[in-house]
Amino acid sequence: MIAVDKLAKRFKLTKEHKKNKERHDSREYDGYFHSVKNVSFTCNHGEVLGLLGPNGAGKTTTLRMLSTALKPDHGSILIEDDNIVKQPLLGRKAIGFLSGSTGLYGRLTAKENVEYFGKLHGLKGHALKAKCDELFSMLDMTTFLDKRAEHLSTGMKQKTNIARAVVHNPKVVILDEPTTGLDIMTTQTVISFIRSLKAQGIPVIFSTHHLDEVALLCDKIAVIDQGLSCFDGTVTDFMKQGGSTELNQAFLNLLSGNKHV
Amino acid sequence: MFEVFKKEIIELLRDRKTLFFIIALPMLIFPIILGFVAFLTSQASLKAEQQVHTYYIVNTQFSTVFSEEIFYHKSFKKYAGQKQFDSVEQLSEAVKEGIIDVGIFIPNDPKIAIQAGKQSQWQIVFNDAKAINFIFNRVRSVASKLSNELRTRALKDLGVDIRHQPALLTPITISKVDTADKRENYGEKLGALIPYLLLPLVLMGASYPAIDLGAGEKERGTLETLLLTPVTRSELVLGKFFTVLASSIACTLITVASLAIWVSVASSFVSLEAVKTAFNSVTAWDFILIFSLLLPVAAMLSSLVLAISIYARTFKEAQNYMGPLSMAVFVPIAVSLLPNMELDNVTALIPITNVALAIKEVVKGTVDQGAIALIFIASAALASLLLLSCVRWFKKESVLFR
Repeated sequence: MIAVDKLAKRFKLTKEHKKNKERHDSREYDGYFHSVKNVSFTCNHGEVLGLLGPNGAGKTTTLRMLSTALKPDHGSILIEDDNIVKQPLLGRKAIGFLSGSTGLYGRLTAKENVEYFGKLHGLKGHALKAKCDELFSMLDMTTFLDKRAEHLSTGMKQKTNIARAVVHNPKVVILDEPTTGLDIMTTQTVISFIRSLKAQGIPVIFSTHHLDEVALLCDKIAVIDQGLSCFDGTVTDFMKQGGSTELNQAFLNLLSGNKHV
Repeated sequence: MFEVFKKEIIELLRDRKTLFFIIALPMLIFPIILGFVAFLTSQASLKAEQQVHTYYIVNTQFSTVFSEEIFYHKSFKKYAGQKQFDSVEQLSEAVKEGIIDVGIFIPNDPKIAIQAGKQSQWQIVFNDAKAINFIFNRVRSVASKLSNELRTRALKDLGVDIRHQPALLTPITISKVDTADKRENYGEKLGALIPYLLLPLVLMGASYPAIDLGAGEKERGTLETLLLTPVTRSELVLGKFFTVLASSIACTLITVASLAIWVSVASSFVSLEAVKTAFNSVTAWDFILIFSLLLPVAAMLSSLVLAISIYARTFKEAQNYMGPLSMAVFVPIAVSLLPNMELDNVTALIPITNVALAIKEVVKGTVDQGAIALIFIASAALASLLLLSCVRWFKKESVLFR
């Protein structure tokens, strides 16, 4: 289980930002850009949570805080009973993170990439080999294991990235737009991977712009707009509150309703 | 930490571009470049030596002996044209126009001048801007031979016996008795050159992989993944640091080895007595000492380039910082080359200068153990300070996600 409560993160504005006053963002004040102001949601065992929001809403910043790459200014992130804001090392062990910007080492083979991260997570010898073999067959990676990552196709890279993200048996998996730029086959691989995690009872949080994926996979939805949580609940609640059975329309209604308030 | 180090080394060894700069460049390119430069220089000096100069003498009648000597000299050829010159100005014009190579202006007859107690002042007109030029020396040697003959005869006429003449001309002579042995003498010259060659290599061997390990990882997006592993930031930095250090030392060792091989190959063709004598007196222990002196510099430069690379946003930004840095390394080496710079308690604390001076002392055979200990302490302190800032930067969000 993962519970996120009242997360906030601001970034200092650069000098160029301060000079350029024409484009004024309502989140820029006091010399800071308040990227995330108040975000809360929970995701229980066996649940898949879809994180939605327009571009620049603060999704990636939120996910980076969950991954412990960024330290929140306020709020808490609880995994089981550990507050990983205070103990980031526990968080790193508990979370499997995958994003569009997390790359692979081009000059290592697919296998070496996955094994390297396994070793960094403390896996060794037989346990490492068993886990890797399991992932390689599950993700159907055996044909390109010994190819260097720089020579892999986008789909192969994403599979390797997935294996890398979960090699250490994480308690929670976080995916930042995992299907962006992928073809239909590879998208399907990602979808079945999320389903297998769900079957194992592992909570999955993923951000996306594809609402069909949300309909397909998610039990819960959290919406962020302008750095604020504006929805956290089940898919049924989402449709009810958005006033439409179409997810796209419900999402747009929710956002415009948010602006009126 | 070991896993990080191992993986970085594997990646480094698979990177052809970096390998080229660390191994191939020093091994092959440097000897080729040096050989090419040596070839061109020797060609140029050979050409200058073989060159025959066209000359013109104003007032040949004042010294027929000299005119004949020059006429039969293998390096001079008399101007065969129709033009007449009779002043220094006209000779200058002629040299500028390329009509002649050298003009000699004889104002009066030296035999008559010496009888009147006067010097005969001759002027040699030529273009002295070339680095290798034999004209003046050749003319002077002919002229001074004549001058000596005139003096000997004049003194004899005054009643000075030929045997007494040297003592009369130079009553007191002084000569050097040098307490510095040969090694100290060669060491002063060669020992100053060695750091000039080695230290930039240490930097080069460190900077190429460092750029890849810091800014390169940031650019490829692997740094974020790496930071999400439960490995502490200090371990990550140390793993990367040791990779850079290893590469820096490897680059230096390979270059020195290749240099040794090329010198031995070269010395089997040409005898390089000076180099041989200097190196024969340097023992294996001295080599170990020189190498161990490179360690603190390598550690310091490795941590410095790693810190720069982690700070930089992109590969290109990191490369932009490396340019001025390599110049900054040359300055302290140049300081060590200043006359009378010696290793003492103050200079032992100046990074790079201290090691450059110490290497010179080792080659000279006059090394002071205490100063070396001081160098080690100072360099280690600086290196750990830089490593600490690497770790700090690795923890800073504003640097990691600039």
